[in-house]
Amino acid sequence: MSRFSGAKRAHSSWHRRHDLPWLVLFVIPAFVIVVAVQFYPLAYSAFLSVQDWVLTESQVPKGFVGLDNFAKELSDEIFRRSVRNSVLITAGALVLEMFLGVCLAYLTMGSSWRMRSIRTLLILPMVIAPVAAGTLWRILLNSRAGLVNHLLSYIGIKGPEWLASPDWAIVSVILLDTWQWTPFVLLVVGAAIASIPDDLLEVAAIDGASRWKTFLYVELPLLMPLLLLTLVFRMLESLLSLDSIYSLTNGGPGFSTYTLTYYIYTLGLRSFDFGGAAASSWLFMIFATFSIGLVFWYQRKDW
Amino acid sequence: MKKALLLLLVIALLPAGALAQDMPHAGAEVVTTFMQSGTYDVGAEQLEPGFEEMTGIELEIVASPFVVLVQNHITDLATGTGEFDVISGDFWIGSVWDQMHPLDDLIERDMWEANIIPGLMLPGPSGYFDGKRIGIPYSADAYGLIYRTDIFEEAGISADWETWDEFFEALDALETHLEGTDIAPNVFAFGAYEQTPAIFLGMYDGYLVDAEGNYALDHDKAVAALNQMKSLLDYNPEGATGLSIDEANSVFLTGKAATMICWVSFVRADAQNPDASLVVDNWATAPFPGPGFPFLSAWNMFISGYSENPDAAWEWIKHYINEEEAKRRFVELGVGSPFLSTYEDPELIEQYGHDFPNMVYNLNRAESVPWIFAAFEIFFRHMGEFVVGAVDVETMLANTLADWSELEVPEGLVQSAAAQGQMQEG
Repeated sequence: MSRFSGAKRAHSSWHRRHDLPWLVLFVIPAFVIVVAVQFYPLAYSAFLSVQDWVLTESQVPKGFVGLDNFAKELSDEIFRRSVRNSVLITAGALVLEMFLGVCLAYLTMGSSWRMRSIRTLLILPMVIAPVAAGTLWRILLNSRAGLVNHLLSYIGIKGPEWLASPDWAIVSVILLDTWQWTPFVLLVVGAAIASIPDDLLEVAAIDGASRWKTFLYVELPLLMPLLLLTLVFRMLESLLSLDSIYSLTNGGPGFSTYTLTYYIYTLGLRSFDFGGAAASSWLFMIFATFSIGLVFWYQRKDW
Repeated sequence: MKKALLLLLVIALLPAGALAQDMPHAGAEVVTTFMQSGTYDVGAEQLEPGFEEMTGIELEIVASPFVVLVQNHITDLATGTGEFDVISGDFWIGSVWDQMHPLDDLIERDMWEANIIPGLMLPGPSGYFDGKRIGIPYSADAYGLIYRTDIFEEAGISADWETWDEFFEALDALETHLEGTDIAPNVFAFGAYEQTPAIFLGMYDGYLVDAEGNYALDHDKAVAALNQMKSLLDYNPEGATGLSIDEANSVFLTGKAATMICWVSFVRADAQNPDASLVVDNWATAPFPGPGFPFLSAWNMFISGYSENPDAAWEWIKHYINEEEAKRRFVELGVGSPFLSTYEDPELIEQYGHDFPNMVYNLNRAESVPWIFAAFEIFFRHMGEFVVGAVDVETMLANTLADWSELEVPEGLVQSAAAQGQMQEG
């Protein structure tokens, strides 16, 4: 070790000691803000989740109920149905979005003005407010006068009751999510494809790899980390989706398109059951964290 | 010199004294809420400048969409925040009726009288708590039934039914008469499932709250009413389970249905507008059949118990709720008037002769319900499941009662149910 590096280390150590109070001082405001904005609501919702508090019955929490709220929610048929719907809608939408997004990204590769224009057009749904998108699709899917059934009738298909049938209502929500968020996958994957070094593709071509094999063994492994990250983003967004469902189906018919988020919203802000809503929110957080953890775990695989 | 100064002082203070006498609440601030609907709120905005000039009261109008309005009121009153002075509401906010300012003393002090339809001044349609008036209705709309006068005349059917059974007989006759046409005997917005309880309430004549004060239904009567309600689908056009209010209205306005069950105020103006309707002058309001009641929408004005200016708030209520304004809002904005004089106005009778007599008849029979928002939502959601065939009637009822058992009926709504005969005896 040289004298120079030893002196440098001593100098930086002196600096660290000397700067420490200042560093702490500068960090404190940010720390306080993070605690206030993030941890306080979390802690308060944890407190509420073990309280019996329905605002329409009492101005203050009635008392500690342990894990009763959690047990009640887990045994509630509508809660369980909301979980099922969330899984179904998120899984259905994710599969379609990832598949279509990757396909569209490859189809619209290139930097010609035509391709750039097509990409611009394709990302338009993403910039529409979800409430407006839900309302738009509500009109399109109207079984009597909607454009979708009208177009289906041209090819001899009698369109279903999109929003009045429990099963088709779920399909409608998946369609809306897919329509609105496939462009996000297209954008991310498009950028990732453009960043793949040409050398690798050329080597694959020299080795005689077909286009499909090049995609499967060269491009896909390179894209995989980004695809998984995109999957996480979309999964979270889809699970949290409320406004589009509110305007498209309003959770109906009946409880058919209740998702976890919609359920928590109705419990907290329409029934004012703050204890139940807080417990459901924690269950939702556990569920979402587990799902995302699963994706991250999968991401560790060496592609 | 002293006398001259005193005289000057008196002269200087005279206008202020007169102002204080004319404007006893000058400088007070009143925050008033309305549903953001382009009707009630717009009516208030039109009155705001004149009211402020006349009283010196600073008025702030807060208009919010329905769900937000309910949330705002319940959180404001349940937490004692006191953000609003005058509150627009109905049975939805029954859980906070105990937080409202009683109005009896103010009414008596000012000898305030209003020629409001008698039925609307009773507990239920009007807000009452512990026998004291807390709300005054400023709008009134009853669920109604409108029909095509030309088709009825052709078919030789008269719209004088009293019961749903008689109405179904008329539907059978219409079905025969309309065979081969694309006109349905009836249309209802079954897709707007929050509307379906209105038909149920018209067909059901049992209790809504049991003797112990819990949400309940008479099982047999409820089953009969629910089945009868669902059988109405047989007379509706294809895809009726997906129809929204606007879509159902459009079916009637384009002449594709002979009868429609609806909020008449939502369709009245368009039905008489040649640009929006093919049935101008060919429709009328019919009696809403029994044995149940027409579902009532009567927005009340309440004064918050946390208001710092209840007298100034009362001034605003008096300014907003009066015969002249109710007639103006009816004509200009289509708001259903709670005043009898609106329906007795010769000029209006000439224009709305096809509508008024049965409208008043329905309003007089109309009742409010003792359901808080959560109870209402539970009911219409389960009913939606039943209407689309996802569950049978027994399952629907069992699920509803199970979910209702988690709720407490607020005292104000127990009293409302008792006053309207909606409580189980015993």
